[in-house]
Amino acid sequence: MSELNRILQLARNDFSYFFRTKWLMAVLLSLNLSDMLVVALVYGKLMSFDYFQFFVPGVVVMGLFVAALDTGRRIWLAIGEGVIHYYLSLPISTPGIVIAYLLAGGLTSVVYSTSLLLVALLVLPAQAVWSTFILLPFIFVLAMGLAGISASLAALSSTHGEFFFAYQQIVQTLFLTLSTVFYPISFVTKYLPPFLTTIVSANPLSLAADAMRQYTFAGQPIQPFFLLNILIASIPFTIIGAVSYLAVLHTIQVKGKL
Amino acid sequence: MSSVLRLVWFDLKQELKPPVWIVLQWFTFGIQLFVYGAILSQLVTGISNYLQFYAVGFIIILTFDIGSHTGRHFVEHAHDGLLPYLLSLPISRSKLFLAITFQGGAELSLMLAVPLTVTLSIIGNLTAFSVAMVVATLFCLGFGVAGLMLGLSFIAFKSSDLYSAITILAGTVVIRFSTVLYPLIFLPPGYASVAMFSPLTYGADLVRLLLGFDPSMLLNPTYAVVVIVALAVSTLGLGMFLLQRLVEGVKSA
Repeated sequence: MSELNRILQLARNDFSYFFRTKWLMAVLLSLNLSDMLVVALVYGKLMSFDYFQFFVPGVVVMGLFVAALDTGRRIWLAIGEGVIHYYLSLPISTPGIVIAYLLAGGLTSVVYSTSLLLVALLVLPAQAVWSTFILLPFIFVLAMGLAGISASLAALSSTHGEFFFAYQQIVQTLFLTLSTVFYPISFVTKYLPPFLTTIVSANPLSLAADAMRQYTFAGQPIQPFFLLNILIASIPFTIIGAVSYLAVLHTIQVKGKL
Repeated sequence: MSSVLRLVWFDLKQELKPPVWIVLQWFTFGIQLFVYGAILSQLVTGISNYLQFYAVGFIIILTFDIGSHTGRHFVEHAHDGLLPYLLSLPISRSKLFLAITFQGGAELSLMLAVPLTVTLSIIGNLTAFSVAMVVATLFCLGFGVAGLMLGLSFIAFKSSDLYSAITILAGTVVIRFSTVLYPLIFLPPGYASVAMFSPLTYGADLVRLLLGFDPSMLLNPTYAVVVIVALAVSTLGLGMFLLQRLVEGVKSA
């Protein structure tokens, strides 16, 4: 069996583990669907613009983000429960394990958020559904970047495992709050100082949410520069995640423990 | 009483050394209020000063989270094997239950101290009576939720996965279908009727009334008081009853 096949097999194993975790599915679906079908709808009545139309694509991106963050939990579990030693004993290289996890992280997030997108398309008319197919590879790279952030958190907390969920909550709160998932950039500019507004604009979640709003739902022609921005904002996170996870695996290989 | 306090401290000291989760709750509250809440209040035109409305709502969400944590903590003890040890201690079940409840109360006080102070200072123009009543309402609600989760925790002895799924699902529904984030009058009729079954609707509206919000947007306070007190008494009673019947050696599946 070639290295690529082994990577794909390991990725498939991690992918199916995500969807087999019943409580996780209950958490994600209940949170995202209630945000879409309750919160967005009711807030729409409290605001002078169509918040439902604005927020529904944001919920799809939020789903992508939280599903990608779960990659870190799976890495954290593998380290904590010693499954990682089993993976290291398999005939697969260490970078292969890292790639498998990031691929699985990206794929689970895309599949999960696509299911949310399908619900979104039922409740919100989209002008250019086919644009989603062009966006999909870029969303996948973005999801791998977000999985990379999560992998870095798992690596960071590998010696103090109990802090993993604290780190995850901090990252989740900051990434979502400092993005345009919940509110338009024009309102962010009015309230936050310029340096934070720059962070909000460059946030990969803002880019993905705006891309989905403009290209899938509003039907505007896709701007290649915008897609390039998504790649630029995502790839560094993928690299950081891969390097930090690789460093943890290397330490386990050398010392036998962390 | 000293054995109860020793048990409370036994659990609580793990939260305090270091107090990561307490500081994290404060941090999350700060970001949610001063970034998310502040920006959203510029968008909301249906309520004057949505920031204040949201701040109270977030306090209710925190109370719910901390209350549920007390129940989940009990399940974790069963899962880790600590519960059989606690049950084997030479103290009565009622004392053990009291210790679990006090521990929940102490956690609630620590985690809510800063967020509640900030919220009260944002709203301002308060009396000592209204503040005391708000604190009492929050404790009543927190104990009610904790009792509810303790009652549900017995599902965990069959399946901890099922327990996690049910509690999280219930938590999401109870928060979204309630007046925590928006007044009842803005909810579509179908959602509003579900919201009437959420204890958080009554908790949030009662706290808002005590803090001087427009009563025309809120539920009748008499119903709210009855629901909150009934929830606390009934669910804590149920939890105590179930703990009395719990057999030594039980563990989470």
